[in-house]
Amino acid sequence: MNKFVGKVGIVEILVWIFLILVFLFTVTPIVFMVCASFMDSRQILAMPFHWIPSSDYFTSADRTFFTNFVKAIMGNNENATFFRNMFNSFVVAIVDSVTTVLLASLCGYGLAKFNFKGRNIVFMSIMATMMIPFEAIMIPLYMVVSGMDLMNSYRGLILPFMVSAFGVFQMRQYLLTFPSEYLDAARVDGLSEPRIYSSIVLPNCKPVIATLGILSFRNQWDNLLWPLLVAQRETMKTLPQYITQFSEEKMTDEGAMMACAFLASIPMIILFFALSRYFLGGAAVYDSRKG
Amino acid sequence: MKKNKVYSIEQQQARWGFLFTVPCLIFFAVFSFYPIIYAFQTSFTDRQVLSRNYDYVGLENYVYIFTKNNGGFPLSNSIRATLIFTIGTFIPMIIMSLIIATFLMQLRRDKYRGFFQLMYYMPAVLSSVVAAAIWMIIFDPRGLMNQVSNFIMRSSGVDYNWLVDPVMLQVSTIIIYFWKYIGYFVILFITGLAAIPSTIYEAATVDGSSRWHTFWKITLPLLKPTTAMVSIMAMLQCLKTFSTQFMLYQGGSPRAPIDVITMNIYFTGIRNGRLGRASAMSLVLFVIMLVFTYLQLVANRSSEDVEY
Amino acid sequence: MRKALSVLLVLLMAFSVFAGGAGESNDEIVIEFWTHEDATRQALEDQYIAEFEEMHPNVTINATRQASSRLVELVQTAFAAGEGPTVFNLTNDAVYSFVSTGNVAPMDYEAAGYADAAAVEDAYIDGMLEAVTYDGEVYGLPLELNNWCIFINKQVFRDAGLDPETDYPKTWEEMVEVSEKLVIRDGDILVRRGYDFRYPYYLETIVPMVEQLGGKLISDDGTEAIIGEDAWIKVLTFMQQWGPNGLNLGSPTYTNARSLFNRNNNDIAMCTTGLYQEARIRSENPEFYESGDWMVVPYPVFEDAVADVSACHYGQYYMVNANEDPETIAMAWEFIAFMLSHGEDYLTKVNLIQPTKELMNSDTYKNMPYSDVFTYDLGRAHVLYYGPHANEIQSLLRTAIEGVMLQGVTPEDAYTQLKTSVQELIDEDA
Repeated sequence: MNKFVGKVGIVEILVWIFLILVFLFTVTPIVFMVCASFMDSRQILAMPFHWIPSSDYFTSADRTFFTNFVKAIMGNNENATFFRNMFNSFVVAIVDSVTTVLLASLCGYGLAKFNFKGRNIVFMSIMATMMIPFEAIMIPLYMVVSGMDLMNSYRGLILPFMVSAFGVFQMRQYLLTFPSEYLDAARVDGLSEPRIYSSIVLPNCKPVIATLGILSFRNQWDNLLWPLLVAQRETMKTLPQYITQFSEEKMTDEGAMMACAFLASIPMIILFFALSRYFLGGAAVYDSRKG
Repeated sequence: MKKNKVYSIEQQQARWGFLFTVPCLIFFAVFSFYPIIYAFQTSFTDRQVLSRNYDYVGLENYVYIFTKNNGGFPLSNSIRATLIFTIGTFIPMIIMSLIIATFLMQLRRDKYRGFFQLMYYMPAVLSSVVAAAIWMIIFDPRGLMNQVSNFIMRSSGVDYNWLVDPVMLQVSTIIIYFWKYIGYFVILFITGLAAIPSTIYEAATVDGSSRWHTFWKITLPLLKPTTAMVSIMAMLQCLKTFSTQFMLYQGGSPRAPIDVITMNIYFTGIRNGRLGRASAMSLVLFVIMLVFTYLQLVANRSSEDVEY
Repeated sequence: MRKALSVLLVLLMAFSVFAGGAGESNDEIVIEFWTHEDATRQALEDQYIAEFEEMHPNVTINATRQASSRLVELVQTAFAAGEGPTVFNLTNDAVYSFVSTGNVAPMDYEAAGYADAAAVEDAYIDGMLEAVTYDGEVYGLPLELNNWCIFINKQVFRDAGLDPETDYPKTWEEMVEVSEKLVIRDGDILVRRGYDFRYPYYLETIVPMVEQLGGKLISDDGTEAIIGEDAWIKVLTFMQQWGPNGLNLGSPTYTNARSLFNRNNNDIAMCTTGLYQEARIRSENPEFYESGDWMVVPYPVFEDAVADVSACHYGQYYMVNANEDPETIAMAWEFIAFMLSHGEDYLTKVNLIQPTKELMNSDTYKNMPYSDVFTYDLGRAHVLYYGPHANEIQSLLRTAIEGVMLQGVTPEDAYTQLKTSVQELIDEDA
């Protein structure tokens, strides 16, 4: 064992160097975003680039430390919908993640623990929906939603994503390993099936619920294509739509865009650090060996 | 008599099972099955976005997308772009995340590991729009990437044409994607590694096998199920990629090198209004994904006999 | 804590389910009005909308604004689902597909305050309604008319030792020469550019260059595409030489010049844009606007040009959804006419031209800075191609031009490829 000590030292250093390089790769663009949100476009594209905004930037008369942030919040028409749009994003993401967890766990439970006729067909057809790109069903989906008169409403934004096929799949895989003995015992005790679900199955799904909830929250927070179609009114737009305003060709303002990107990321970053345990621990619940 | 009763209880239970899937099925029926069937049906018509009348044309759309060049953007090029992107992304991604995960497991303190895990996962938290916005500026000719490359290559003032040159453009999309998802796959591998009982390693140490040997002979085989699952998942995700390519195109990059199938569907169907043709393309993508999923199932099955 | 959280969730869900979608009674007219985003225009229009709603208490106008690049897709998708907006505006190239499929209604002349189609045409300067007139009926009215000239930053010219008043480029050959003197490079990377083409609006800007040399996009009878091999190859070669693989004077991936221009950051000397740019300079950088350090010159021609053609003019046309009931359609045209009755305000406040004879001959227009240059170029310009597949032809041009500029395609190959692809498109309708 001891003869390896010197070698281990070198290996360890190499491992550290490697890990730090990857760290730089993942974090640099984020640091860049934060720095750039305090700069004007000339500094952002300066050669060579300086990470610390120069002092004459702050001392110049028409700019303050927060100029970009004010621009980011006020938008290009002095019509501040930033917070409203952020609120919309929250509503959509929260409602969708809650319903996804509830409906997917219910469905996954049904698929994992009951042997009804046509179970495989149900499962396969749900899986198949994961294989059609969203771009292909955009127009028919739009027809459904506009037919139900849900344009420019929360319902229009929320309903199509209330449940996800991936969620069902993940729940099913997780519950397959859930010992059936518990369920049988509960049945012997005379508990009704819905009761078994709510008091035994659901509480035992906690880790996968956390992951799935966070995952679908993130997906909806990120969703751009669908809100673009159904939410045209300023007050119903979501945050990704808001950010794209800044990259539209007629008003390319890199500083304000970075400030906007930064502001929009803050809630997710806070959420991320607060729930990092679930992010990191739970990301791997979907593990085939358990399924 | 008794047997009969047991049977009916089972039947009753089974009914509950079906009932549990009903709420989901209703949503899927309205928001997934119906649109998919509609798209399938549309693929056999010459429907255009603004015309109200259309005819059934049989397999004409399918023949067209495989033989004609679809206004300069043939499906063959899209399949090429998609496959290059998928293979170019997921193979390095799997190898890198496996290496990183193994290295992280070597760290002596959990605190360090947690820190790196968090930092690697950070990009996945930002939304795609934000990611594209950041990288567009970094890849600008005057941006950070050229400066860093010039520093590393010890050149001066060379423009590496990150968003312009066909090869570099594909590399750029891969870099962005890689940046976004590496942390996610690292975590998947770490969980896989953590699940390997430490007694196996201890046994190996007692046997006196080197780390390298342990990794190849023990860790890797035991990790096979995780690897299979992760690689196919990454592959499916890559096949469906859209936003990265789309945003770069919007920013002025040429379309052909990064015209992945989803992007071609979007342009053919939404922008140029040829719904029939676009639907046929989505069916092709569907079949491609189906084949890969089948491969996943096969790969998973063959690796299920791994035992600890 | 947990209880509070769950109550909050339930409230949020209830809110989301019941919010929006209040019922409207039947005698009310609702006009869904979709238009492209334009920061300077919006305040003005919101005011007119409020005024119109006051005049017609039974009318509600829901204005929604989208980026101009996305508006076409959104309107198309909405129509595909049978839920198109009542009033919307799109550029020439999109008009044809809406008219030919019967999705937009011909003008209700009475509601809009005209006697008939001839009276409408008479009110506008020649050729402005060409793109929206089919079988004697007018289907749209221009919200704005744009033609593009060259904006010049005089400071940058002087900085490079040039006299902007005399040294500005009159030909494309001079454009190369002048740009060579204006650019500042760090190795291959352009720190300051001389001129920036209007990427990727090639139908507007590149097709006229081909026409200057005697080429054509589509033959007059509409059967042959990409005419005049020499002209096309010369233009493609010119673009190839302009790009990073040639003289390296610019490329489509740099930040587009018309937004940089306003900032006066010494990184761009010339750009291609319209009269509306003046309003944008004024609002974004009043100091630069007042300094008079910018000027506008006509669109250049080739030295050996056979025709004097400037960048195409194009319009944003208001149209009305034909699927609405007649009453709504009439009200929609009345609304459009009301909006367009403020031509002078549009011109003075946001520098948008509504090309009525009255306005174009008014002193207000003539007193606009450099309006004479725009008028001169308008005389040399023709309307942007508005036939079928305009949109797809635009993207084919993009492939061809960016192919030679960026991807090392030879001009000859790009020409052949372009011709075949465009020909295939127009043959589809034959």
